Amino acid sequence: MKFEAIQQKATDLWEAFNRLDKARVLIGGATCGRAAGAMQVWHRIAEELEKRRVEADIVEVGCLGMCYSEPNVEIGLPDGRRILYQNVTEETVPELVDRFILKGDPCLEYALCSFGDVPVEGLIRFNDLQMIKPQVRVVLRNAGIIDPTNVYHYIARGGYAGLYKALRMKRLEVCETIKSSGLRGRGGAGFPTGLKWGFALASKSDLKYMICNADEGDPGAFMDRDVLESDPHAVLEGLTIGAYAIGARQAIVYVRAEYPLAIDRIRNAIDQMKGLGFSGPHVMGSDFDLEIKIKMGAGAFVCGEETALMASIEGKRGMPRPRPPFPAQAGLHGKPTNINNVETLANVSEIMNRGPEWFAAYGTEKSKGTKTFALAGKINRTGLIEVPMGITIDDIIFNIGGGIPDNKKFKAIQTGGPSGGCIPAEMSDLKVDYEELAKVGSIMGSGGMIVMDEDSCMVDVAKYFVGFTHSESCGKCVPCRMGSQHLLKMLTEITEGKGDMSYVRRLEKLSRTVQSGSLCGLGQTLPNPVMSALRYFSDEFEAHLRQKRCDALVCKGLVSSPCQYTCPINQDVPCYMGYIAQGRFDDAIRVIRIENPFPGICGRVCPHPCESKCEAGKYGDPIAIRALKRFAADYEMKQGIKPHRAEVRYDAKVAVIGSGPAGLSAAYYLTLEGYPCTVFEALPLPGGMLAVGIPEYRLPRDVLDYEIDYIRKTGVEIKTNHALGRDFTIEDLFRQGYKAVFLATGSHKALELGIEGADHPAVLPGVRFLFDVNLHKEINLGERVAVIGGGNVAIDSARSAVRLGAKDVFILYRRSREEMPALSEELEQLEEEGIKIRFLTAPKRVVSSGDGITGLECIAMELGEPDASGRRRPVPIQGSEFMIECDNVIAAIGQTSDLNFAQDEALNVTRRGTIAVDEETDLCEKEGVFAGGDAVTGPLNVVTAIFHGKLSAKGIHQYLSGHEVSRHYRPVRPAEVVAPVELTDEEIERLARPSLPRKPGQQRIRSFVEVEECLSEEQAVLEAKRCLRCDLETQFEMQ
Amino acid sequence: MTKELQKTLKSYGQDRDSLIPILQSVQEKFGYVSEQAVTGIASYLNISESTIYGVATFYTQFRFTRPGDHIIRVCQGTACHVRGAQRIMNEVVKHLGIKPGETTPDYKFSLERVACFGSCALSPVVVADNRVYGRMTAQKTKQVLKEME
Repeated sequence: MKFEAIQQKATDLWEAFNRLDKARVLIGGATCGRAAGAMQVWHRIAEELEKRRVEADIVEVGCLGMCYSEPNVEIGLPDGRRILYQNVTEETVPELVDRFILKGDPCLEYALCSFGDVPVEGLIRFNDLQMIKPQVRVVLRNAGIIDPTNVYHYIARGGYAGLYKALRMKRLEVCETIKSSGLRGRGGAGFPTGLKWGFALASKSDLKYMICNADEGDPGAFMDRDVLESDPHAVLEGLTIGAYAIGARQAIVYVRAEYPLAIDRIRNAIDQMKGLGFSGPHVMGSDFDLEIKIKMGAGAFVCGEETALMASIEGKRGMPRPRPPFPAQAGLHGKPTNINNVETLANVSEIMNRGPEWFAAYGTEKSKGTKTFALAGKINRTGLIEVPMGITIDDIIFNIGGGIPDNKKFKAIQTGGPSGGCIPAEMSDLKVDYEELAKVGSIMGSGGMIVMDEDSCMVDVAKYFVGFTHSESCGKCVPCRMGSQHLLKMLTEITEGKGDMSYVRRLEKLSRTVQSGSLCGLGQTLPNPVMSALRYFSDEFEAHLRQKRCDALVCKGLVSSPCQYTCPINQDVPCYMGYIAQGRFDDAIRVIRIENPFPGICGRVCPHPCESKCEAGKYGDPIAIRALKRFAADYEMKQGIKPHRAEVRYDAKVAVIGSGPAGLSAAYYLTLEGYPCTVFEALPLPGGMLAVGIPEYRLPRDVLDYEIDYIRKTGVEIKTNHALGRDFTIEDLFRQGYKAVFLATGSHKALELGIEGADHPAVLPGVRFLFDVNLHKEINLGERVAVIGGGNVAIDSARSAVRLGAKDVFILYRRSREEMPALSEELEQLEEEGIKIRFLTAPKRVVSSGDGITGLECIAMELGEPDASGRRRPVPIQGSEFMIECDNVIAAIGQTSDLNFAQDEALNVTRRGTIAVDEETDLCEKEGVFAGGDAVTGPLNVVTAIFHGKLSAKGIHQYLSGHEVSRHYRPVRPAEVVAPVELTDEEIERLARPSLPRKPGQQRIRSFVEVEECLSEEQAVLEAKRCLRCDLETQFEMQ
Repeated sequence: MTKELQKTLKSYGQDRDSLIPILQSVQEKFGYVSEQAVTGIASYLNISESTIYGVATFYTQFRFTRPGDHIIRVCQGTACHVRGAQRIMNEVVKHLGIKPGETTPDYKFSLERVACFGSCALSPVVVADNRVYGRMTAQKTKQVLKEME
């Protein structure tokens, strides 16, 4: 048949296909669709249609590239409406059949978009989708739209018109046409295709080969697979045109074995070509003959390299050889050969059809046309896209890709697979093309684009890629074989907490050697991920090497369990979980006390950062670590376990100023070490904020007394009513024989409200209010109490006010719920006690009359641009003032440190009003003085204060031993190996985080009785068994 | 040489180019490339057995021992890695009691790791008996294995 006749037949068939005389179902059946369950959906649809005796066509199409929403099913009705449904499951099929196919109800809740000319109300058109609109689909022109097994669909949409034109041109003309389009090899190297063809054409030989490289081995790249499965003829037509252009009679499609569906499609398509006379003798009636064969790869990434590929076809080991001679002169079996990538060829066919100028109109000056990108990793809309060269990374990630899932922070992308480099988020305005990517140290490669977020470790990514290329190295040349081995060894050691900063220089040097000495592209590019990671993320390498930290929580060698790692004092959480699970509560509390002198307190008031990173929390509820710690502490208190007095080993006395958690922790550990320690406390009672800042319904007095007493029993002396500045100076201490001083004076000076009327005596600073509450002073409150602020002091003030009899207590917070630092469990308790919060409200003026307050003039706020902390700054809405009646105002908007003594003591103070110390050691500039806790960090929390106490204790010990005060970093590992408790299947069914018991809201506010209750022993043991014991996955050395 | 093997070989030309396609065919028909098969191929193509092993061992596709009834492949490609493929591999290793590249003593399961399946957008990916499972978790994978037992 003549080509025009074939085209006519194709047009007729395509029109009939789209006429929709009856309902038509299109199912995306490429491998990704199948992985998502498309075939099961297909069967269900067929079943349901048969059940209802509905006649409809079900056709499998290729992939639209919207993999994130697979299985995708398009249903078209005779009324012309065509709707694409997303995430279709077997369960939703009956509904779609009943409601849309039978009744015409579009089921918008399942729909993604509409196709075709007929609009559907309430539904966006496919071409207007945010993911699709910026795309220019050349290579993907038919993907997901035609039946890939029906050649006439391809022909109807312009297929083989390019070949038809080419055969009427001289071979050289065809090469020139492709050259003028600017098409560059899409396999990765980006060599001008037309130019390469010209070389092969110029070589004289009786036999030449044209090869399609469909070995797509880059992990993260799947565009070739997609095109071959969805539109194989686009590639085969390009292959045929190329074979003609260079004068070859033999063409081979070399496709990797891991793509069975693609192989099937190609086979089928080649048969169809033969049937229509598009291959075989006299292609399209010309005197050009072409035989097309398929060769399958056998699982070697290196065979994507052209000389290795040809060796593989020849039945040899896939080892590259040096060039020259280039394949164009001597390739397969020594004959002139031209090898092109799948995507390149899919472009060729359309370029010949539409003309080179059309293609060259897209893209940048040196990178013409479009490029497919396989978008994967931490991105909302994973899938396959095709965009004009020159689009920015921002556009790809945030417009097309829909941004990062779970609002995580975008960190970097990796382009070019294992041969490419990472590009940090700061450079996301980069316009993507061959040159721009090379400039920043990456490559285009095949177009794989892996998106990484804050939870990705760049050292781990570099190690991963080198691990890959190392295992795929053919082994022929030393730089690649040995170089990759040693790069991998060093990177692995870094992720295990070994190595030092010299590794950075060694990695760089070895990378350059591997790059310049390797025989083929695999070796030459394998150091790219390492070099780009070192270039843009050297801080991560430093953190791993010097501080033994992996803050993305990825490297298991450094983060044996995320809970222990995240805890500021590195509590051995999995250890004591294991002991509780075994019922060995004595051992549990023993382990807790190694790092934490305040288990009962932390078990009640800690904000538990450990739980926020709990692995179990990723797919369910985090383990109730805080509650379990409290359980162990309560057990200890009930047993009345008492410590031994510590042995005094040194003469050097140490003075600690401040008996809050930082001061007492320092004193405790110094005493255990053997130093006589005295704590000087300004107030009449010890404990700092623990005693005067946290109300008893959260921290009962007997628990506090027990824990402070425990510390006293080890030998710590506490002198109350001794205030620095008022009663003594640091000089006095040194004169009295103290050899070192630890300053832990805290941060409890309330920040001023700073509004009109705020100096009225009835406006109470929150800290002062809580102080009075804790010391049981008499407080007179009216009925309505307004508390201003959003932190612990504000919340505790509100809850205390309610207990003192106020009937209407409310909190005014100037930001929104999301910015409020309070934990949801605290807000729940607030609500139960009848306290309301007004968000985005700030006080403007205190209205008073005589001795009393009558109200607050407030103004509504809205969120503006982020401030230095990254939180959005609240901005007042002009003209939105309103009055709130109240009798008392408690101002709890934050605290600062009272550093009156600083100047006299010649202590440096930071801009933020805290004591200046060396960040790593807490050492002050003043000789023999250390500082820590809220006085250094600003108001934070108990556990961070404990950390500083311990850090300073270590530093003081170094100082007093005559050593240099420095920080020694070690990877965080559990101290003991505790055997896990095997769970029965029945227990696994029952496992769920217990809800933490607390007394009923209205009842408990009548007094300051403790609100939260302890878990029962049964609850505690079961919850401890739920722990995934992440520590057991690591192999570690016992300390 | 068995009749089956002879039939398989006869459908290929007796040239070096046929070596890999023959090995692939043998693997598909018999499940693995046995010593007897290598001997047969050597005589058919007139090349040495060591040459054949030299080529066959270069490519990861070929197995030289009987595989399990069910072949489990866990993808370790980039996108899968970034979404937790290692956890899945650890779970499978624990559940089956074998390492990648090994077969269970009862020949029920073989475990392999693959660098990339090309279904990266549906990471993490596990292929069991050539059926591709996307968006897997360690739990779901264990479920799939249990159903196959």
